[in-house]
Amino acid sequence: MSTTLLIDSLIRSLQAGSLYALMAVGLTLTLTVIKLPNFAHAELITVGAYTALLVSLGISAKPLIVLGLAFGVAAIVALLCHRVVYRPLAQQKPSTYTMILASFATGLIIRYILFLLAERFALFDLRIGVPQAIWLQNDWVTLTNIFFWVVPTSIALVIVLSLILNYTALGRDMRALADNLTLARIIGIPVDRVHDLTWLLVGGLAGVAGALWGIYTFVEPLVGWLAILSVFAATVLGGMTSFSGTILGAYLVGFSENVIMQVLNHYTGLDFSFKPAIPFIIIIFVLLIRPQGLKNN
Amino acid sequence: MNIDLFATTIALLTFFGISAIMALSLNLEYGVAGIPNFGQALFVSIGAYTAGWTYTRLLPLLAGEAVIDPCGSTLGQALQLRSTIMKTMPTVGLTNFVITLLIAALIGGLVGYLASYPALRLKQEWYLGLVLLVGSEIVRIVVRGYEPIICGNNGLSAIAQPFHWLRDSTLSSLLFAGLVLTVAGLVYLYCERLVRSPYGRLLKAVRENDAVATSLGKDVARIRGQIMFIGSALAGVAGVFFVVNSGYASANDYVVALTLDVWVMIVLGGLGNNRGALLGALLITILDRLTAITAIRMNMLGFQWEFNYVRYILFGVILLLMLRYRPQGLLPEPTQTTRAHEMLGAEGVAK
Amino acid sequence: MLELQNVSKHFGNLRAVDGVSLRVPQGQIIGLIGPNGSGKSTLLSLMAGTVQPSGGKILFDGHDITRQTADQIFQRGLVRSFQDPSLFFRMTALDNALLPVNAQRGERPTHAPWHHLWRQQEQTLASRAGGVLDQVQLGKQTNTLAANLSGGQMKLLELGRSLMGAPKLLLLDEPTAGVAPALAYTIFEQIEHLRATQGITFLIIEHRLEILFDFVDSLYVMHLGKVIAQGKPDAIAANAQVREVYFGE
Repeated sequence: MSTTLLIDSLIRSLQAGSLYALMAVGLTLTLTVIKLPNFAHAELITVGAYTALLVSLGISAKPLIVLGLAFGVAAIVALLCHRVVYRPLAQQKPSTYTMILASFATGLIIRYILFLLAERFALFDLRIGVPQAIWLQNDWVTLTNIFFWVVPTSIALVIVLSLILNYTALGRDMRALADNLTLARIIGIPVDRVHDLTWLLVGGLAGVAGALWGIYTFVEPLVGWLAILSVFAATVLGGMTSFSGTILGAYLVGFSENVIMQVLNHYTGLDFSFKPAIPFIIIIFVLLIRPQGLKNN
Repeated sequence: MNIDLFATTIALLTFFGISAIMALSLNLEYGVAGIPNFGQALFVSIGAYTAGWTYTRLLPLLAGEAVIDPCGSTLGQALQLRSTIMKTMPTVGLTNFVITLLIAALIGGLVGYLASYPALRLKQEWYLGLVLLVGSEIVRIVVRGYEPIICGNNGLSAIAQPFHWLRDSTLSSLLFAGLVLTVAGLVYLYCERLVRSPYGRLLKAVRENDAVATSLGKDVARIRGQIMFIGSALAGVAGVFFVVNSGYASANDYVVALTLDVWVMIVLGGLGNNRGALLGALLITILDRLTAITAIRMNMLGFQWEFNYVRYILFGVILLLMLRYRPQGLLPEPTQTTRAHEMLGAEGVAK
Repeated sequence: MLELQNVSKHFGNLRAVDGVSLRVPQGQIIGLIGPNGSGKSTLLSLMAGTVQPSGGKILFDGHDITRQTADQIFQRGLVRSFQDPSLFFRMTALDNALLPVNAQRGERPTHAPWHHLWRQQEQTLASRAGGVLDQVQLGKQTNTLAANLSGGQMKLLELGRSLMGAPKLLLLDEPTAGVAPALAYTIFEQIEHLRATQGITFLIIEHRLEILFDFVDSLYVMHLGKVIAQGKPDAIAANAQVREVYFGE
C-alpha cells in the first residue's frame, strides 16, 4: 500500500477523530450531568451544520462567524428541548425508557422539520460556502485550510470544555451533579440553572461540531444521524462516563474507520460499504468484553 | 380527485393488520415484559429480506425452473420469471409464501434472541435499546450498500402477494386483507392468552423488578430471551406481509422512523394492553393514510411543502403529548390480568 | 436444620458480620435481636444467598449452601421475606401470592397459550392462595393492586407470599414493622399456627421484644456483627451485657 494512501488515511483519521471527540464529549456530558441518554444529540449536530450552511450562503463565509452562529443556534435549540420536553417530563419522575423515548421523538421531530425545510428550499447535498484553499503541499501530503480549521478547533474546544469542568464554578457544580444529584440539591447547588447551562454548552459544542463536519463533508438532514453511530462508539469506549476515555475512543474510531478500513480494503478487497459497520462492531465488542471501555477501574 | 373508497378501505385494513402485528409484538416485549426494543425496524426488515431471498431463489426452484441472478444483467429476466410464476402457478406461490413466513419467523426470532444476549452483561438496561437501535440502522445501511441480499440500493420488485394470480385485482386485495387480518387476529389471541396465563404474570414481575424475581427463583435472563424470540418472530412475520403488500423490497423502508411508528402505536393505545395495541395501530394507520391523502391533495393544490414529512413530526408530537399527559395510554393496562382471578370467583373486592 | 459456622462478611474495612455461628433446629421459632446496624439484616441476606459470605460455612438441611445463588437456595426451601415489602406493586395481591410457586406449567411459554394444560394447576394454586390470603386477613383484597394496600397489609401479603413457596424455613425480617399491636399479635399467632400445623421453622428479626419474647423458643443477640448472647427469653432478658447494649447506650 502506498505511503501517500496511508498518510491520507491518517489525516482523515485525525479529522474524523477530532470531530467525533467534540461530538462525543457533549454526549458524555449529557449522560453524566443530566443523566439522560440523549437520542436527539445527532439532531443538534445537524442543526449546527444547517445553520453554518445558511449563514455561509446568506450572511458571511468567514469561518469564525459561521462557527459562532452554529454554536449559538444549536445551543438555543438544545435549551428549548430541555425546557419544552425534558424538564416538564422529568417532574413526573418517569423511567429512563420514557426519557429515552421522549428524546428519540424529539430528535425525529427536529430531523423531519429539517427535512421539510431542506425539501422546500432545495437544501440537499450542499457544501458550506467556506472557501477552500491548499495550505500545505509536498510529495507526501496535501493539506487544505479545512484541515486546519477542523482539527485545531475541535481540540481547542475540547480543551476549553475540560478547563470549564475543572477550573470554573460552573464546572464544579456540573461535576457535583454528576457525582451525587441528591447531595448537590441539599447543599444548595442551583440544579435548574446548571441544567440550563449544561444544555447550552452541549448544544453549542454539538453545533460547532456539526458545522465543522459540514465543512469537512457535506450537509443534509441526516448528517448528524449518520455520524452518531461513530459518536456512540466513542462514548461507549469511554465507558459512557470518562472524558479522556471518550476522546481516546473517538480517535480510535476515526482510526478504525479510515486507516483500518483502507488497509482491509487494500489487502482483502472488503468493500467500503462495510464502513458503517465498524462503529457497531466496536460497540458490541466493548459492551460484551469490557463494558467499562478504556477506563481504568 | 376521486378516491376509490372501497379500495382505500381495503388498503387501510391491510395496513392495519400489519401494524397490529407489529404493535402487539412490541407491546409484548416492552408493554408486558419491559424490554425496550428500539430496533423493531430490524426484525421487520428481516421478514422483508427473507421474502426477497425466497422469491428469487426458492420460488423458481419450487416451480421447477432454474434460479436466475436477480441483480445485475439478468435482473429483467429474473423479474419476469417470478412475475410469471406468481401469476400462473398459485399453489407454488402460496407454498413459497408459507415457507417464507416460517423462515422469517425463525430467523427473526433467532436474531432477537441473540440480540438479548449482550443485555445480560450490560451495566445499564437501556444499553440494549441502544444496541438494537444502532443494529437496525447498521443492517439497513449494509444491506443497502451490499448487493447480494436485495440488490443493494435498487431493491427487488415483483414480490407479489399470494393472491396475485386472481384476475380481479379487487378480489385479490380483499383476500389478502382477509389473510392479514386473520393472522393479526390469531396473533392477538395468542398474545392475550400469553398475558393471561402464569407466564404473563411472570413477565410482569420481570418487568417491574427483576432482582426480586430472581430471588424468587425465576430465570430472568432466559425469560427475556424467550420474549425477544417470540416478539422478533412476530415482527418478522409482519415484515413478510409488509413487503408482499407493497410488492417491493427496499432497505429504505426500514428506517428508524418505522420503529418510532410502532412505539407511538403502543404508547397511544396503552402500554401493556393488547387491545390498546390494536387501538393504537388502528388510529395511527388511519392518521397515516389521512396525511398521505392530504399530502397528495395539497401538492395538487400547489402547496409547496412536502407534507409526508409532517407525518413524522405529527407522530413525534403525539408521542410526546402522551408521555407527558397520559402515559398509561388510551386503554390503560387492566389490573387483574391473569385467569387466576376469575378462578377464585367473586371473593375479592377490587378497590 | 440451618447451621452457620463462623460466617463473616466484610465490606472493605467494615465488618458487617464477624464470625457468627448459630443453629436453628427444625420446627423451632428462633429470634434474632440487636440494636440497629448490628448486622442482622446482612446475616439474613447471607443465609438467603443474595449476598456471598467473605468467610465461613452455611449448612441447610445437611447441604452446604455457602456458595449457592439466591434462586437455588429458594428452591431448597429456605425463603426470606424482606424488610421493605418487595412486592410487585403493579400486580394484584393474588398474583403476588401466586408468583413464587415453583414448577408452574403455565409459566412455560410453550404451554402458556393452551390453558387446558395448566388450568387445573392454576385453579388449585388459586384456591390455595385464596386460603393463605384469608389466613393473613387479606381475603377481601385478592383483586387489589399491591400498591393500593396499606403498609400493614403489605407486610401481611409479604408473609402470605412467603408461605406459598412451601418453605421449610422462613427468614422473617421485622414482620410486624409498621403494624398495629393487635395485628402484630395476630401475625405472631399465625406464625405459631404455621409452625404447629405445617412444621415450618422460623428465624425472625424483630424489634418488638415484648411480643417476640412470648413466642420464640430461643434468641440470638447480635452487636457490631458478633453474637454476644444466646438462650431462652428469660435468660436473655436478665443478661447484663444485653441490657447494656440495648439500654446503656
